[in-house]
Amino acid sequence: MWHNVLAVIRREYLQRVRSKWFIAATVAGPLLMAAVTVLPAWLAIQGERDEFKLAIVDGTGVLSERLVPRLENGGFEVEEVRWHADVVTELRERANGGDLGGFIMVDELTLETGEAIYYSMDVPSGLRRVTVQTSIARTALEYQLEQRGVDAGGLMGGGALEIEVISEAGSDITEVGFGLAYVGSFFLYMTILLYAVAVMRATLEEKTSRIVEVIISAMRPWELMLGKIVGVCAVSLTQMAIWISATAALVAGGIPMIIVARPELTNLSSINEIVPGISLVILFLGFFVFGFLMYSGLYAAVGAMCNTDEEAQQAQFPMIMLLIVPILMVMPVIQEPNTPMAVWLSLFPLFSPILMWARVAGGGVPGWQVLLSFILMALMVWVIAWIAGRIYKVGILMSGKRPTLPELWRWVKEA
Amino acid sequence: MSKDSLALRLDGVTKRFGENTAVDSFDFEVPRGVICGLLGPNGSGKTTSIRMIMGILGPDEGSVSLFGEDPDVVRRTKVGYLPEERGVYKKMKCLELITFLGEIRGLRRGEARRRGGDWLDRMGLTEWVEKKVEDLSKGMQQKIQFIGTVIHEPELLILDEPFSGLDPINQDVLEEIVREYHEQGTTIVFSTHLMDQAERLCERVCLISKSKKVLDGDLKEIKAAERQGVVAVEFEGPDTWIQGPEIDRVERKEGSLRLILKDGQDHQQILNRAVASGARVVRFELIEPRLHEIFVRHAGEGLAGDIGMADRPRSASSNGIRHFGTV
Repeated sequence: MWHNVLAVIRREYLQRVRSKWFIAATVAGPLLMAAVTVLPAWLAIQGERDEFKLAIVDGTGVLSERLVPRLENGGFEVEEVRWHADVVTELRERANGGDLGGFIMVDELTLETGEAIYYSMDVPSGLRRVTVQTSIARTALEYQLEQRGVDAGGLMGGGALEIEVISEAGSDITEVGFGLAYVGSFFLYMTILLYAVAVMRATLEEKTSRIVEVIISAMRPWELMLGKIVGVCAVSLTQMAIWISATAALVAGGIPMIIVARPELTNLSSINEIVPGISLVILFLGFFVFGFLMYSGLYAAVGAMCNTDEEAQQAQFPMIMLLIVPILMVMPVIQEPNTPMAVWLSLFPLFSPILMWARVAGGGVPGWQVLLSFILMALMVWVIAWIAGRIYKVGILMSGKRPTLPELWRWVKEA
Repeated sequence: MSKDSLALRLDGVTKRFGENTAVDSFDFEVPRGVICGLLGPNGSGKTTSIRMIMGILGPDEGSVSLFGEDPDVVRRTKVGYLPEERGVYKKMKCLELITFLGEIRGLRRGEARRRGGDWLDRMGLTEWVEKKVEDLSKGMQQKIQFIGTVIHEPELLILDEPFSGLDPINQDVLEEIVREYHEQGTTIVFSTHLMDQAERLCERVCLISKSKKVLDGDLKEIKAAERQGVVAVEFEGPDTWIQGPEIDRVERKEGSLRLILKDGQDHQQILNRAVASGARVVRFELIEPRLHEIFVRHAGEGLAGDIGMADRPRSASSNGIRHFGTV
């Protein structure tokens, strides 16, 4: 029995991995993703460099002399404001009036430890944060060394930047988390759809070319269906493994180059905030695999019940809807991840891969909800396998008109 | 005949599709080692029967057994199956496809590959091993399919319309291979609507028409049983002896006269009368009935047009003149 399933898996896997399509998609995929995600981010940074206006309140009287040019060098337009009792209130008002993007308070403590307060209208990007933080720390360090030549350990550690979001519509989601949630959701949607459709097409091809008759005379239909789905799943994971390791290599090789180009980014601990952790990658793959298993089962059934590509295009409509709905909900769910609606939608197994991911990547989801969503998805995989397996078994050998819903139900009952 | 000496046994097998009964109470036995033809016009239930033998369809009633055992247990490794509508994975390389087909029939991968290579050599397809199936001509694709059918050395070969769509040369190649497997002791069951092919190859035949079996048994015995009744005569001189109480009617065919006798009548009286009349008889031959005639006799005249004729347009295009030589 498993001999057959393995033979089907191997055939499916090798045929696909060796195909030109796979190689092209593996190369083009990241380029496309880069075009979709990195390009807008890069453009945003460029825009930020041009426009961002920052005020500095120097309580020490000695830092701004060096700090202002350094920040201007980093792309900010900098204004020096003298300290007085109501300076925070005044600058807050100016910022909310649109005059400033934010302001930074440096004082004696900054000289000692490199800590400063950054009042920001928006959630600063990782890059901006790092630029500001390292600029301050380096300036303070320089001053310390120059003045006293004594212990500068706190400053060498990189200092710390306290961020206080002062705009009214503040959210506790970080920009990095937002990006991961948003981009990841779309990526899940695209890959699940792409590979589930691949299962459907393969099923349809076997059916229309009639080779299925030879295969079914040697194994049970569910063995063929299982082998097909696992084979395609292995292909997709191979592709993702290539993408992930390529990204990891780029990051590992790229960081030294970034540091050479931008010495103020030397502080490696801040890189961690930009690069997702291993656990998040594993969760992502988990959502993908379960999503794929659910949808590929449904798509295999569609492939088995249709006779032509056109029929299959129409018949896959309900599945497309099931994938579109969560995509439409991604933004509201990311912004308000813990409303009852967001929780319930993300726990619905067919929506979980996209919506639960969006919540997880954004942060602040209770662990039990993630666990529950995986349990519900596993149950759903089982239910779909049961129903789709029956439709597949009857449909794969059937020709003629596409079955109506009552006919489908009879297949499921009688198979 | 004990059950163990049977390669295949169908017992009252019935299959319905909605209102339509495709196969009706079909009893069918094939002893080990014979070549058996499953004959009938298109739509008579041949393919449905074969699909039930192969476990692709489940019978509504009745049972199938292979080698006296549960078919689901022995089918995969002991049976080779060539369906009527032949499909391939077009994008696969030839040897890979054959290897895969061997694997799902229980061969280990390396063994399937080795045998596949040998077969491709034997079929003169050595240089195509690494080529994709879609690059092959239709005839070559059919050879690949046939190799896939026999790669695991099955004890029973089930071939559904194996000769249809083959050009005459490849028909001969296939016929030769079928005979070879027969000599090795393989049991072969093939369906066809071409009576002439069946007549040349089969030891046993089973005729089905309109979902029911009409005749079944050893071809020689069937022919012997059906023999009396037609005499071909050629003669010079008087023809008055041709009329007589034994004779039902007279037909002219292939330059001679065919005397069709009434049921149970002996031909000896006619010969006596001919000699007595002074006619000079140059030929007086009991004609073995053609399978086609036997079939028509049993299944009814209305079917005559379907048998062996249905393939005519396709044959004409593939130069398969032999298809209608005997009708």
